[in-house]
Amino acid sequence: MGRNPGVRLFARPDTHMIDLRLKIGDVPIDHPSIVRLRTDAVESEHDAVLIDRDHQSQTFDLAGYSLRVYCDPQTDLDGDVLLLVPGRNSAHRLLRARSRHNTFLVTEQCDQLCVMCSQPPKKYHVDLFDQFTVAATLAPENARITISGGEPLLHKRRLFQFLVAAAKARPDISFHVLTNGQFFEPGDIVLIDEIGRDRVLWGIPLYAPYAELHDSIVAKRGAFETLSQNFMTLMRVGAAVELRTVVLQQNWDVLPRLAEYVSTRLPFIDVWAIMQLENIGYGRMNWGDSFKDTSLDFRELRSTINLAIGRGIQTLLYNFPLCTVPLEYRHLAPGTISDWKNKFLEECGECKLRSTCGGFFEWYKADEGFGGLSRQ
Amino acid sequence: MTVFPLKFTRLASDYLFADDAGGYFRADGRFLERYAGGNLTTSDTEFLHTSGHAFDEVGDLAYMGFAYRWAQRLHRPQELNYVILVPTLRCNLACGYCQVSRVNENTSGFDWTEDTLAQVLRFLDGMDTASAKIEFQGGEPLLRLDLLETVREFARRKFKDVCFTVCTNLQSISADAWAFLDASDTFVSTSLDGELSAHQRQRTITSRDTHQFVSNLRYAIGRLGQGKVSALPTLDVNNLPTPNQIIETFGDFGFRSIFLRPINHQGFARKRYQTMGMDERWNDYHGRFIDALIEHNWTADFPVEEFYFTHCLRRILRGGHNHHVDLRNPNILGKDYIVIDFDGTLYPSDEARMVTRVGQIDLSVGNLWDGIDQAKLDVLNEEATNSFHPDCVHCPYQAACGIDVIDDLSRYGRIDVRKRDTTFCRRHTAIFDKIFELLYSDDKKAHKSLAAWAGIPEFDCSLAPIHT
Repeated sequence: MGRNPGVRLFARPDTHMIDLRLKIGDVPIDHPSIVRLRTDAVESEHDAVLIDRDHQSQTFDLAGYSLRVYCDPQTDLDGDVLLLVPGRNSAHRLLRARSRHNTFLVTEQCDQLCVMCSQPPKKYHVDLFDQFTVAATLAPENARITISGGEPLLHKRRLFQFLVAAAKARPDISFHVLTNGQFFEPGDIVLIDEIGRDRVLWGIPLYAPYAELHDSIVAKRGAFETLSQNFMTLMRVGAAVELRTVVLQQNWDVLPRLAEYVSTRLPFIDVWAIMQLENIGYGRMNWGDSFKDTSLDFRELRSTINLAIGRGIQTLLYNFPLCTVPLEYRHLAPGTISDWKNKFLEECGECKLRSTCGGFFEWYKADEGFGGLSRQ
Repeated sequence: MTVFPLKFTRLASDYLFADDAGGYFRADGRFLERYAGGNLTTSDTEFLHTSGHAFDEVGDLAYMGFAYRWAQRLHRPQELNYVILVPTLRCNLACGYCQVSRVNENTSGFDWTEDTLAQVLRFLDGMDTASAKIEFQGGEPLLRLDLLETVREFARRKFKDVCFTVCTNLQSISADAWAFLDASDTFVSTSLDGELSAHQRQRTITSRDTHQFVSNLRYAIGRLGQGKVSALPTLDVNNLPTPNQIIETFGDFGFRSIFLRPINHQGFARKRYQTMGMDERWNDYHGRFIDALIEHNWTADFPVEEFYFTHCLRRILRGGHNHHVDLRNPNILGKDYIVIDFDGTLYPSDEARMVTRVGQIDLSVGNLWDGIDQAKLDVLNEEATNSFHPDCVHCPYQAACGIDVIDDLSRYGRIDVRKRDTTFCRRHTAIFDKIFELLYSDDKKAHKSLAAWAGIPEFDCSLAPIHT
C-alpha cells in the first residue's frame, strides 16, 4: 500500500474531551505503521521512548527519528499505541493504555443501512489488519479491544486471521466484535474455536421479533432470516453473544414480544443490551422519527425487562442516563458511553447519581432529547 | 408445525400445561380437548409457536432454542469442587435431633488422626479445579481449630480461588477461633431453630446456654459482618413455631434468607422425633410460611425469602439454575462434591453419611486410602435422574424438579416406590403447586414478593402466560 491521502479511519468528529487523533510532526514512513509510546522502558521494536517534553508536545525516539506528538503537557501517553499514516500529520490513537474503551474501526463498508447507524458506511476499504495485529500485541495487559465498522465480517478472512494471530500472541486480551451477524457460516466453527470461544464477545443487533420489521429497520431484505440461521451457528459453537437492541419508535410496541422471542429462541446469549439511540450519523438524520423518549414512557421496557430477566436472560440498559430510568431499574443501567464521547449537561450540576451515570453522548442535543431529566 | 409434547395438571378451574424444556402456560379444558384431539385452531398454533412450544422444521431456530432450553434444565456435573470435611465427631452440645450421632466432647477416637489429615491433604491436592469450596462439619469443627487451620493453609496454596464455611453451633468460641473466622474467605453457618424457646428446647437446654449462643451470634454478626454469617432453622413438625415468630426472630438478627427444614429423617433423629407420615402437615406449614412472608414483605423495607422456595421459583422460571445439590436432574452423586468423615470414609452426601451411621444401609463410597468406590457410585447414579422415570415423565413440574435417591433409600429402603408416594415428590409437588398458584393469582402482595424472590424489578403478567 502506498500513500493514500484518502485513508479516513474515524468519521466521528474529534471531541474536546479525549483526542482519538493526535497532531504529530513529520515522520519519514512509507507505509502505515504502528508505534507504542513509552516514557521509560523499551520492550518491543515498536516502542518509541520519550526523549523530550515541552509545554505543547512530547517527543519520542522512533528508531533514530524524532516523533513529536502535540498534546497537553499533562496527557499521559505511556503505553498508548498509535497508527501513523504516511503523509498525514495526525496519528490515530488506537489504544489508550488508561482507558477501557479502545476500538479498532476495521472497515467502513457495510451491507446494511440501519436507521440508527452512528457510523454510516463508505464505499472504499483500506486493509489495515496487519497493523491492527501488531497494535493488539502491544495492548495493555488484559485489555478488551472492540472491533467495529462498518461491518467487520465483510472482510471475514482477514478479520479471522487477525483474531487468531492476536489471540495466540496475547493470551490475556479479549475482543468485543460488533457485527450485524450476516456473514457467519457453519464452517466458521473451527476458526471461532481456534480463536477461543471465551476470547470474543460477539455484539449482534436484533431489532424486532419478526422479519418484516427487522428488515425494514436495517434496510436489507432477508436480513432477519439470515441472522436466525447464523444465531444457530453461534449457539452450536458455544460463542459468547451480546444481543443488542436499540430502542426506537419503530420497535417500541414489539419490545415485549422481542423479549419472548429472545427467551425462547436465543436462550444461549450472554447478555441482552437494550440501548438508547445515539444522535449521530443516520441516528441524527432520523432522530425525529426514531428517538423514543423513555424518560417519559418506560412502560414497554418494564414488561420487556421483567420477562427477560425472569426467564434468565441477563438484561442491561446501555446509554440510558440514570435519571431517565425508574429507580428500581437503575441497577441495570451501567455507565456505557465510551469515555471519549460522553458528556454531562449543565443541568446535571451536582447530581448525586453522577459518579455511576454514563451521562450523554457528546453530540446529544438537549432540545430534541429527553423530556424527563431530573437532577437527583 | 409440530407441538412439543405437553403435560398438564389442574390449575384452579383451568389447566397448567408444561413442556420438557420447562415452558408453561395456562389454558382451559376446551384447549385440552383440541390439543388431545388434534384439532388445534390457528390461534392455538400461533400461540404455541410464538411462545416456544412448537417448531416448523427440525433444526429451525424455534427447534434449536427449545433444545438449548431443554439442555439447560439438565445438570452437567463438573469436576470435584466442593468438599465437606468432618475433622471431629465430638461436640459440646447434645441436640435431641442430632443427625449424625455426635459423641461427647471428651470421647477419644472420633477425630482425624495424623494419617487421616495427611490423606485429606493428599485428596485435596489431587483435585483438578481452580476454584473450590470447603465446608467444615462435625461434631463441632471448632473443637479442632488446629486441623481447620492446616487444611485452610494448604487449600489457599493449592486453589486459585477457595472459600471455607465453618458449620458451628457458636456455643463456645475461643479467641483463636474468632481470629480464624475473621479471614475474608471464611464464612460461618450456624443453627437457629426458628425462635429462641424452640432453640433452647431442641439445642441449648438451659437458658444460660441459650443466652451464650445469642450473645455469640450477635457478636459474630457484628465482628465478621452480616454477609459472612448465615443461620438455618431445624423444625420439629410436631412443635412448630408460628411463621411470624420465625420471621421476627431471624429479622431481629438481620437475616433475610430463611431455609426452613424439618428435622431430618436420615439420621438418629428418627428415633426421638416423628419424621415419617408428616408430609401433609409440613407442606401445609410451608405454604402458610410463604403466605406470612408475602404479608410481611408487603410493608417491610427489605424483602425476606424462604431460601428453598426462591430456589424452586427460579427453577420454574428459567433453566440453568442447577447449583443447589438438593434439587437437580440428573443428581449425579460423588462427582462434584463429596463428604469425608472423621474416619476418612467417603460419602456422596451428608445424608448418606447419616443413613450409614444409623446402620440402615452402607452408602459409603470408598475411603481416603483406597479411593472412590466407582462401581458402587455407578449403581447409585444409574437411577439418579427423573428424565425417564415413568411417574416423572408425565409430570408438568419435571423440568424444574430433581431427584434424591438417598432420601428414597433412607425412607423406603428402595428407590422404585411410586414417586407420588414419596416424601420427596409430595414436598416438591406442594411447593410447585404453591408457586403456580401465586404466579397466576392477581394478588399484588404476592406479585411484590415473587418479583423480589425472582430477582426482577417488578412482577409482569407475561411470566404467567394464559392462552384463551
